[in-house]
Amino acid sequence: MVELSLDDMSRDPYPMWARLRAEAPVAYSPSLERYLVTRYADIVELEKTPEVFSSREEDSLLTRVVGHNMLREDNAPHHRIRSAAEPPTRPRQVRDIWSTAFATNCGRVLEDLAPRGRGDLIADFISPLVELNLAAVLGIGGVPRGTMTQWSAHMMAGNGNYADDQEIWARAKAATAEIDEYVRLAVDRVQGSADDSIISAMVHADDPLPLDEVQNNVKVIIGGGINEPLHVFGTGAWQALTDPALRARLVDDPALWRKVFEESARWISPIGLYPRQVLSEYEVAGIRLPAGSRVALVIGSGNRDSAVIQNADVFDIDREPVAHLAFGGGPHFCMGAWVARHQIGALAWPAVFDRLRGLRLVEGFEPEISGWVFRGLKSLPVEWEAVG
Amino acid sequence: MVKINFTLPDGSTRAIDAAPGGSLMKAATSHLVPGIVAECGGNASCATCHVYLETEDVALACPDGSVEDEMLDFTASPRRANSRLSCQVQVGDQLEGLTVEVPGAQV
Ligand code: FES
Repeated sequence: MVELSLDDMSRDPYPMWARLRAEAPVAYSPSLERYLVTRYADIVELEKTPEVFSSREEDSLLTRVVGHNMLREDNAPHHRIRSAAEPPTRPRQVRDIWSTAFATNCGRVLEDLAPRGRGDLIADFISPLVELNLAAVLGIGGVPRGTMTQWSAHMMAGNGNYADDQEIWARAKAATAEIDEYVRLAVDRVQGSADDSIISAMVHADDPLPLDEVQNNVKVIIGGGINEPLHVFGTGAWQALTDPALRARLVDDPALWRKVFEESARWISPIGLYPRQVLSEYEVAGIRLPAGSRVALVIGSGNRDSAVIQNADVFDIDREPVAHLAFGGGPHFCMGAWVARHQIGALAWPAVFDRLRGLRLVEGFEPEISGWVFRGLKSLPVEWEAVG
Repeated sequence: MVKINFTLPDGSTRAIDAAPGGSLMKAATSHLVPGIVAECGGNASCATCHVYLETEDVALACPDGSVEDEMLDFTASPRRANSRLSCQVQVGDQLEGLTVEVPGAQV
């Protein structure tokens, strides 16, 4: 049994995760009504056992926010939706189709930003860029700037609303109602003429998805498709801005940003944990998980497990490559992984460090990192030499 | 049972008796052959179960234009003509006695 103080956890969950890994690697939390699984090896084992650890969680917070969706399905029903939605996110499509559109979007955002001389790299750079990119990949148009980021934040807050805050529910509900309407218009549009987008892929799949399924799964994709890349971007940019030696290497060899991507996702995993429900009794780390009980796979902890990853609390792009858990594992392996790797690691970081000359953190910057279900830097105020 | 020999990046070898029917990835990981990460659990979406099949048998080559073919362009170790995603290879008699090389890096 473990009592968690959610405030402490939000400030810094890592001491608690370290304690649990050492003392109680499978610990029951009464307030979360679930077992927390915190060691790397145990998490991997459970991820690879989807026949016992079901994604179809009863009373799931995510399902409450977005409706029935692929993240909370198993087996054939999951596979049906995933295979309809996935093709536009595969790495070859990213390289052949999206990389050009993303580069254009990045140029536009930077052109706007460069003359200003100061701003917030999260709110003013990566958020508009990821919004434009995601809108393109999804195939929704005309969403005002800032709106998708709000939607994502409100839905993710609902998804992590273990404290049952009523205002969080209300904001999440308002966000999803707006998304439904945009998706309805997009579905109408692609019905007549297919394109490269995810919505089109869903509508024109061998087993096409009806409108409500397209809507619910687009909500899931927006939930994970904005918040998470923003957080990974923030972590890596912050590290590069505070470590001159690292920065010099990255300027010299921008391909190294790929390592920054994987290490940032590992070190401060934007998704700290996700739920599973136990279908039949299972023993892990000497603890019997009864059928019907719930678990949280704490990937934010597994990614700091020194039994597998040396000096895991240190950000180090030169470490032995590790198969980190930030994208999850098994059939639900993050569908956006390849899009994110490209848009953050290959595009956004190299472009912003190249284009904004003399980029530096504002004097006295103190990083504000919060969250334990979802975690990341909230802002990154910077200055640079303003040029037209 | 199908006998499969693995060569590991450190030069050592491992032989397993795999049950027919499942994937080569499942056979390897359930026999604890190291070096096959298989993040996506066999869904051809992660490219971390890459292997080289030591064979000239064209029937064992990656099908052109398949999702596997596309993912093989994005493996951590270089793609070769005999590259496969082990999650997309079915264990059967065609693999009897085959040597499978595990690449040096999957991530
Ligand atoms: S296990 Fe992911 S591609 Fe084979």
